[in-house]
Amino acid sequence: MIRNYFKIAIRNLWKNKGYSAINIFGLGCGLAVCLLITLYVVDELSYDRYNQNRDRIYRVDSDLKFGGNELRLAVSSDPMGATLKKDYPQVEEYVRFYTSSGSKLVKKGTSFIQEDRVAHADSTLFNVFTLPAVAGNTKTALNEPNTVVITESTARKYFGVSNAIGKTIEADKVPYKITAVIEDIPHNSHFNFDFIFSMDNVDYQYGNYLSMNFQTYILLKEGTDYKAFEKNFTQVINKYILPQAKQFMQIESMDEFTKAGNKLDFRLMPLLKIHLHSDRTPELGINGNIQYVYIFSAVALFILIIACINFMNLSTARSASRAKEVGIRKVLGSERKNLIGQFLAESTAMAIISMLVAITVAYFTLPFLNDISGKTLFLNNLLSVQLLPFLVALPFIVGILAGSYPAFFLSGFKPVAVLNGKGRSGFKKDNLRSGLVIFQFFMSILFIIGTVVIYRQLNYIQTTNLGFKKDQVLIINGAGALGNNIESFKNEILGIRGVSSGTLSSFLPVTSSRTDNSFSKDAVMDPKNALSMQAWDIDYDYIKTMGMEVTRGRNFSKEFGADSSAIILNESAANVLGYDDPIGKKIYTNFQSATSNELVSYTIIGVVKNFHYESLKQNIFPLGLRLNKYQAGLASFKVNSGNMESLVKQVEAKWKRMAPAFPFSYRFMDDAFDNMYRAEQRVGKVAITFSVLAVLIACLGLFGLITYMAEQRRKEIGIRKVLGASVSNIISLLSRDFLKLVLIANLLAWPLAWWIMNKWLEDFTFRTNIGWWMFVAAGILTVMIAVFTVGFQAFKAAIANPVKSLKME
Amino acid sequence: MIKITDLEKIYRTEDIETVALNKLSFEVKEGEFVAIMGPSGCGKSTLLNILGLLDDPDGGSFVFNNEEIAHYSESKRAQIRKRNIGFVFQSFNLIDELTVFENVELPLIYLNMKASERKEKVEEVLKKMQVMHRRNHYPQQLSGGQQQRVAVARAVVNNPKLILADEPTGNLDSSNGNEVMQLLTDLNEQGTTIIMVTHSEHDARYSHRIIRLLDGQMVLENSLI
Repeated sequence: MIRNYFKIAIRNLWKNKGYSAINIFGLGCGLAVCLLITLYVVDELSYDRYNQNRDRIYRVDSDLKFGGNELRLAVSSDPMGATLKKDYPQVEEYVRFYTSSGSKLVKKGTSFIQEDRVAHADSTLFNVFTLPAVAGNTKTALNEPNTVVITESTARKYFGVSNAIGKTIEADKVPYKITAVIEDIPHNSHFNFDFIFSMDNVDYQYGNYLSMNFQTYILLKEGTDYKAFEKNFTQVINKYILPQAKQFMQIESMDEFTKAGNKLDFRLMPLLKIHLHSDRTPELGINGNIQYVYIFSAVALFILIIACINFMNLSTARSASRAKEVGIRKVLGSERKNLIGQFLAESTAMAIISMLVAITVAYFTLPFLNDISGKTLFLNNLLSVQLLPFLVALPFIVGILAGSYPAFFLSGFKPVAVLNGKGRSGFKKDNLRSGLVIFQFFMSILFIIGTVVIYRQLNYIQTTNLGFKKDQVLIINGAGALGNNIESFKNEILGIRGVSSGTLSSFLPVTSSRTDNSFSKDAVMDPKNALSMQAWDIDYDYIKTMGMEVTRGRNFSKEFGADSSAIILNESAANVLGYDDPIGKKIYTNFQSATSNELVSYTIIGVVKNFHYESLKQNIFPLGLRLNKYQAGLASFKVNSGNMESLVKQVEAKWKRMAPAFPFSYRFMDDAFDNMYRAEQRVGKVAITFSVLAVLIACLGLFGLITYMAEQRRKEIGIRKVLGASVSNIISLLSRDFLKLVLIANLLAWPLAWWIMNKWLEDFTFRTNIGWWMFVAAGILTVMIAVFTVGFQAFKAAIANPVKSLKME
Repeated sequence: MIKITDLEKIYRTEDIETVALNKLSFEVKEGEFVAIMGPSGCGKSTLLNILGLLDDPDGGSFVFNNEEIAHYSESKRAQIRKRNIGFVFQSFNLIDELTVFENVELPLIYLNMKASERKEKVEEVLKKMQVMHRRNHYPQQLSGGQQQRVAVARAVVNNPKLILADEPTGNLDSSNGNEVMQLLTDLNEQGTTIIMVTHSEHDARYSHRIIRLLDGQMVLENSLI
């Protein structure tokens, strides 16, 4: 019986090639999206699972509010890990990473390579995380200073072999002995280092509980409730942190600290939640976002539903041509359950073919997904033990779900009626089918409006007045390598044609790893008068090169000898201080040493117009600019050249002459700026892809429906034409019903789209508006698409010779 | 074999009530060949649909093989139908997507017969109907006469006790029509009961008895033997 079902199914598919192609392609696209998103979601959910202790590892995070500035940190102080292990038996082990020293220049032969994936870590690293050794003993690998553990690929890169034990490498001019080689850290790890140096080589003032610079992980003993454990932090604060804070901030209790509007709190972040739930500073890698996992999963489901709806719609619309067969089968003894089985077998056969199409489509579109998601996914991942059953079950589930309505609908025909030619109408008014078309377009409109809003916001980011000019600024990374030559390098570059100005600075107005310093209005550090802000080291030409505007006072100038103790504030900092005229006033900081009471004073000489130095998702927080060109690691130049390639080559030539051993690395500030919105750009690309897909699949469905509707109404159209109907009358007759559905879909989708996109925009402190025109545009677009889709078939039906269609009856 | 008493079928729309069968009573014995005649709309097809268990009567009694089946459920009727009744239609009603062999095989599939047994039976009946050489063709590739032979083959393949024929020669020329009538006569002679609806006096003469209907009632019964 089953063989008979599939035989008929295949012949039916072949007989109605056009219809089958539409149905299989539509369902195939839906399934392909589903497969691709499954790959993406499974990868996102797999982060850090390679660790055997994954359920017991927690990162110690700090929440800090001080001087009007709120910080959510992924780091804690250096003694925190050891303190927790010493005082609390629930803590089995701890490990710290230190990455604040940034990238390292590693010597290979006679040249240097800038290595970014570097960290210092405690020797306990391998007791906490699962990082198997290829060579050497990880248990003792980082016990001594000047030791390093490298990955297998790094060993091959530097030495051509995996076993590099005992060899020495030089990083930032310090020799390190390789004590272990580990397997490459899996890509789905929230940290990924090629070099792990001994913690003993970190030049740090240890013992400071107030300075948060270490990613600290603790391994809790089996059965420890981490939420309950978090309560112990109050004790830690009172026992260890308060005594240090008392010296430095003139406070007697934490209550006093909190009453002044400040906050200090610690939390444990479970390892398995870091990748998708943590958005703190500084993270060890680019984390994902659970929201996007939810959104993408929902999108996959909706696109699949849209494709299934097509399937149901087209199958039921085709009921007319299947009615006779149903009638005959019933007369010959088929029961309804046999027919339901037959139609479900057909839909499953079609879903299986669609699955093959989907795998092909997914194979060819995976590079595109990898591009927009920034991942390296492979289709083979679907063949994993966890995913294979899903892959096999999916076409059956889809086949049964999508085929169930047509199966029940078609099997319900009365044989007497259909064999007498009655009750065959495949396109009578059907509320369910109309509802399904509305739903498809409803989803398409949501995607379209979502895409428009996302692109408007991205455009807003690009065009909004940032308070500085990001275009045509060439940044030379690692300029610190030039040492004392840095000033002459700047002057040499300024001599190149097309370079109008240049600056040496510690930071630029794009997101990077930065920390705040505490400042005070008084010569005594009192939390009530405190101001927490970043302080950047710049030179005389920074403000000019960045195109910033001084609104009060003046810029640094060589004419003023005392500018080394001067500071320029941004408007936010000036507002927090609350002076009517801040120029000439002093502010104090213990920047030199967090545990010292000695404060250094700075005189405010100017106020610079607020500029966005973090993402537009954040407010513009207080900031101070100090004159200290020798701390600069970045050299930036305003360039204006028709031949950028030649200009960069000239800069490189000068670099190679002045710092021949060090790699030349540059970027443009607008690229660095765009990097801050990579996640949004990805979402934008994904949204536009899915909008196009959703609309395409919905149109395929509509095309199929109108084709069958025109077929069904051939006789009616013939009679109408004989009675004098014009071509336009017929087109309008056939299109009217569909357009009504599309309009209803618009009306339903608009409020929801408005709500969803408002929620999305709330993430941005600085954002665009959702205009009424976006809804109208989406409406017009969908109506036009529907008219085009329906119109072609309607026109074909309208120009057909009525004699032919009437003869057929 | 069949006994109907005061059988009624009424079609209702919002405003109109049409009586298709009006307290109709008659009996058909096993082995009989009965023709039902009458003008269009007299209730012939309605009667045939009820006799074929494709439709429910609204009143009266319908005894089939000593069993009152007037109000059986659809699935119960399907069970009786597939074991006892074969159908031959004016428009053949073959499934276009299946070959001749597969069309004839279909009723046996629904009886859950084994494939080897099915093959044997189908080939036997195709030979008997002289369409064996067309076994792998699709219905559209056959002439009208051949299609009706296939339809008759399909109707008799499971050896039904009763064959219901609805104007079996209506779409055929006279020579093909005569051949089909001869086939039905042969089947009847082998013991199959046949009830045939027809407009043709010529075809009706092949039967043993003619029941003439008008407005859902029997107006005349002629015995031809």
